[in-house]
Amino acid sequence: MPDREQMMKRQQVLADFGEFSLCSEDLDEVLTEACRLVGEALGTRRAKILEIQQDGQCLLVRAGVGWDPDIVGQLRLPMSERSSETFAIKEGKPVITQDIRQEERFEVPKFMKKAGVMALANVPIFVPGRKAYGLLQVDATEPREFGNEDVEFLRTYTTILGPVIDRLRKVGTLRSSEERFRLVVENARDYAIFTTDPEDRITDWYPGAEFVFGWKAREVIGQPAAITFTPEDREAGEDSEETANAAREGSAPNVRWHLRKDGTRVFIEGMTTALHHPDGSLRGFLKIGQDVTKRRAADRALRESEERFRAFVTASSDVVYRMSSDWSEMQELEGRGFLYNTPEPNRAWMDHYIHPDDQPVVQAAINQAIRTKTMFELEHRVRRADGSLGWTDSRAVPLLDEQGEITAWFGAASDVTDRKLVEEALRESEARFRAIADVVPECLWRSDPEGRVTWFNERWFAYTGQSPEEAQEHGWLDTLHPDDRERCMTRFRAAMSEGKTYSGEYRIRAADGQYRWFLARAEPLRDGAGRTIQIFGAATDIHDLRELQEQQSVIVAELQHRTRNLITVVRAIAQQTLAASSSLQVFRSQFNDRLSALSRVQGLLSRADQEPITIRALIQTELDALGADHRERIVLEGPAVTLRKGSVQTLALAVHELATNAQKYGALSTEPGQLTVRWRVHVPEGEGRRLALDWYEQGIRLPEEEPARRGYGRELIERALPYVLQARTRYELGETELRCSIDLPLTARTKKASP
Amino acid sequence: MISATNPLAGCRVLLVEDEYFIADDLRRQFEESGAEVLGPVPRVEEALELIAATPQIDAAVLDVNLQDEMVYPVADALRARGVPFIFSTGYEKTTIPERYAGVKHCEKPLEAAQVAKALFA
Repeated sequence: MPDREQMMKRQQVLADFGEFSLCSEDLDEVLTEACRLVGEALGTRRAKILEIQQDGQCLLVRAGVGWDPDIVGQLRLPMSERSSETFAIKEGKPVITQDIRQEERFEVPKFMKKAGVMALANVPIFVPGRKAYGLLQVDATEPREFGNEDVEFLRTYTTILGPVIDRLRKVGTLRSSEERFRLVVENARDYAIFTTDPEDRITDWYPGAEFVFGWKAREVIGQPAAITFTPEDREAGEDSEETANAAREGSAPNVRWHLRKDGTRVFIEGMTTALHHPDGSLRGFLKIGQDVTKRRAADRALRESEERFRAFVTASSDVVYRMSSDWSEMQELEGRGFLYNTPEPNRAWMDHYIHPDDQPVVQAAINQAIRTKTMFELEHRVRRADGSLGWTDSRAVPLLDEQGEITAWFGAASDVTDRKLVEEALRESEARFRAIADVVPECLWRSDPEGRVTWFNERWFAYTGQSPEEAQEHGWLDTLHPDDRERCMTRFRAAMSEGKTYSGEYRIRAADGQYRWFLARAEPLRDGAGRTIQIFGAATDIHDLRELQEQQSVIVAELQHRTRNLITVVRAIAQQTLAASSSLQVFRSQFNDRLSALSRVQGLLSRADQEPITIRALIQTELDALGADHRERIVLEGPAVTLRKGSVQTLALAVHELATNAQKYGALSTEPGQLTVRWRVHVPEGEGRRLALDWYEQGIRLPEEEPARRGYGRELIERALPYVLQARTRYELGETELRCSIDLPLTARTKKASP
Repeated sequence: MISATNPLAGCRVLLVEDEYFIADDLRRQFEESGAEVLGPVPRVEEALELIAATPQIDAAVLDVNLQDEMVYPVADALRARGVPFIFSTGYEKTTIPERYAGVKHCEKPLEAAQVAKALFA
């Protein structure tokens, strides 16, 4: 049971709070004091007030004592079904938890458990009208019963708290709206705001009024508002008529010229509003007005310039027209021979004048002009008076009323058909030129006479890998071979200064860094006065051509060499044959025979690139040339071996002599005779690959003395082959057989041999 | 061909020619003219060896294009010893390097007399 002293103390707490709340207009201050007092009265030192927020979604810890600052004013609890706080508010009565360890009805918020709260009392707070504000929560860090007296005390306390909270909240709202009003009024510079009493004497004069009219507050307070009226308006009684209207109607428009302190005039668009006391009696007037002097001046200037524009375009354009504000109707169009006339308003003007394909574009431009209230401007196709399609450059300005709304459009259109056709033709020819320029294999360019390039075709960029920025001006010079640059530029400038065609060959670096030869030609383009205004140039890749030419000159030289050598060889054969011939007849037959052999070798050599010459082919050619068929008496045996071209001629002449001799005197001249030719490839130590050939004839009949013919063959084999081919040879003629062996290198030279 | 005024008489002439019959023909012509023939040799290597081994050489006839090589190393060696020489060639003049611009050359087929004229004129 609480003792009397405690009762007294609690009475005192309630009284103290009541007194405190009357002195304070700050809600947070009052709530905090309320918490402090209740915590002290119940001896818990902890209490807090939770405020319902967000339409009943959560509870904010609005004030509290004994709680950390990061909880007070910060923490929000959701209003869940399972919380004692929500339950207390819903039921409208106190809810006590004596020991949270035994609490089964509700969930205790985590932050409270963490703070060591063991027992708590929730008492709802209502503001007048039985509207829930939130609750008072008293927290104890030890289990506590919260007896009847405690609960009654808390209920009494919250009953006092409700109206206090209500009053302070209303004060807060009022104060903030007053604050807002003051801020608006004091900061409005474009609006002159002041108030007057029922006799229209100035009572309040805000900064905007000072700014617009020029008087300071102390200069005008108490003065009649008529001082802001012009003398003529005062004379006409406009000032008093305005206030009389406002008093009668509630408000009256105030749109007129007013007077400023310095005597100049200001145009005000505004309103005078009557102010009344709560009892309905007239308290005075609130006058709010905007300075629109500048806007009016601008409007007038615009109207004047519109007038001038109209006069000008009417005189200078092919067509003038007038459209309704939304362009749905053409009010008038004066076609002046370019377009049909539209003398009466016409709503089908679009179909009348504009090709269906172009209508969307025209409509879009119209919409844009209407939306922005700016000039309509478009070049578009139009049906001409003669029925054909032409081009027009059409412009229209909006005509605005006092309120700035469009009333109509005034337009003018010029016939630009010719210009458009020329432009189109130009564009087309330019496009054609570009297409051709980009398709040719040459690099093309345009430059000035100093070689500053203004344009290259795509081929240049593709070939050099330069970007247009890199190539422009003299940037292209970078791709020229350093050895060619000066020569190229010097000759180019010289040609251009003389107005001649430039032609030169130089190397240009490709994107891969390799240089290729180009033949460049540049032609100056002159104006009527003969001045060079532009250079057109083309560079053709002649690299392959040059290489072919070089190859050709090598081939020609080689051919020269071969031909002259061949003649010398023919001469030597002739001399040799002549020396050994007993008669001209013998000479003729042997010489012709040898020339044929030589010519067969040339045949083989000319095809050698496509058809490498093998030793078998060489021997077979000579044997075939004998004419007679000896196939069954000849054996050719050996691998496919390709001969060096340099070896072929001398070797072939030697084989020819062997074959001819075989037919005339040797194995092929007798019935049982047999010719066996065998060859193989071998690699002696320290040497390259060699061909070892063995020519073996059996069944020959040896003549009394060696014929001269055989002498020439022997010389070829025993001396020419070693001299020319570094061959090792042997020639053995027996009673019934002939054995000739020739061993020669297959690869390029190895070791010397004596002639 | 042999005469008292024959400038080739007694001359030691080096012949470099890769074609056997041409070499043999030249040899015969020079010998008939009273010259002593060194070689003939068909290759640069052998020519250089011969030059190195021969103290006195009075003149030389060099075939420019040997089978797999050009005769220029031989020309350089002779020039170093101050031996006059001519090129025998089937080539156009322009294909011979600049440094031999002053060297006379005879086009094939050669005649010893023509060579003598070119060498000693």
